[in-house]
Amino acid sequence: MEFKEVIGRRRSIRFFEPDKPVEREKIQKILEAARLASCAVNAHWAKAIVVERDKLPEDKLERMKTPVAALNIELAPVHIYWYADLGVVNRIQGSRLKELVDVGALAPTHGWSHKFVDDFVYPQILKPMTEGPGYPIGAATDCGVAICQALLTAFDEGLGGCLSSFNGAIAKELFHPPDDWVPLYVLLIGYPAESWEAGGQRPRPPFEEQYHDGEYGKPFARDEKVVEELMRAKMIQEPASPNNPKRTEEIKRLAERLGLPL
Amino acid sequence: MDDLRPLASYAAVGAWLDSLRQHWGGDPANDDPERLDILEAFCRFADNDPDEIIAGCVLVRDGEKRIRAKGRQRYAGLIAEFQSGVEGSRLRRAKWGNTVRSFLIHNGILLQSGVQGGEPGSEMRDEGD
Repeated sequence: MEFKEVIGRRRSIRFFEPDKPVEREKIQKILEAARLASCAVNAHWAKAIVVERDKLPEDKLERMKTPVAALNIELAPVHIYWYADLGVVNRIQGSRLKELVDVGALAPTHGWSHKFVDDFVYPQILKPMTEGPGYPIGAATDCGVAICQALLTAFDEGLGGCLSSFNGAIAKELFHPPDDWVPLYVLLIGYPAESWEAGGQRPRPPFEEQYHDGEYGKPFARDEKVVEELMRAKMIQEPASPNNPKRTEEIKRLAERLGLPL
Repeated sequence: MDDLRPLASYAAVGAWLDSLRQHWGGDPANDDPERLDILEAFCRFADNDPDEIIAGCVLVRDGEKRIRAKGRQRYAGLIAEFQSGVEGSRLRRAKWGNTVRSFLIHNGILLQSGVQGGEPGSEMRDEGD
């Protein structure tokens, strides 16, 4: 699938084929995609614990269910619990930045050297950064980039996925992440039981409301020709609409098949 | 309980039927003749009328309406118990349980019971596919 179509085809899938396992190699591809994500100071805060639902004892699976995501957790065969490893910056102390210097990604042309990293970047910028209140926000933002690549790769592999919050305290008991890992989201993965359209592209706020041109309050103008081009590339697709009879029938059929309330 | 009024006279039942109509269309009070009978059976099982059931799942704190976790858990358990006692097929038991769950859901009480009989080879799967 072409890149733009992968973006266009992604929807939060909430009906999974509960008994169709996800191939281990597909899980690896999803994780490989996350590992290659862009990341500030090459720190790579994003860490994950992959849990195969059917390998989890039933009582533990029950404990991981949250009021909003209980059904998704039950249906999805694979759960990837994402964390921000807040300890990583002080463990690596700029060493991964120096790797970037060595491979020419950060070059002297832009002022970079090992000594700059050792004498200034780590002690004067990165270490104090880890003590500031905004640190977890920055780390989580970078994790979001990695998680997004994982999510899109799942769809590129013909799977569906949905991000949900999870109970970090219970996950800590069950999966034993280190103390400095902050829980983010669980990415629930499986083969969709719903059609890939899943009712259409989900409603989004108007483009001009979200993006500004040069300064806040001046909307970035949306060029309809670009929109048409993205429609041809299948990035912008048929939007979901209220009371769509096809979608209604699909949900009824899934509810009947899986024994869910309407 | 002996003093149950006709179900349609309860506000929570009206809200349920209105929401079903709005969401799925049709005539919810009549298109499934068992719907109200099932809710009535549950009310008698739980010894609460429909409005009391919803009130038991909601609390108002500082002027804000919240879901009462203990109330919701209690009714989730009662529904599971009610469902398991229904005579007939697994499909029928699931329908009875899910009808009551639908009543809570359309009154704003989030409830996820999970798959009711979706295992391979179950009668639910056999009938559904």
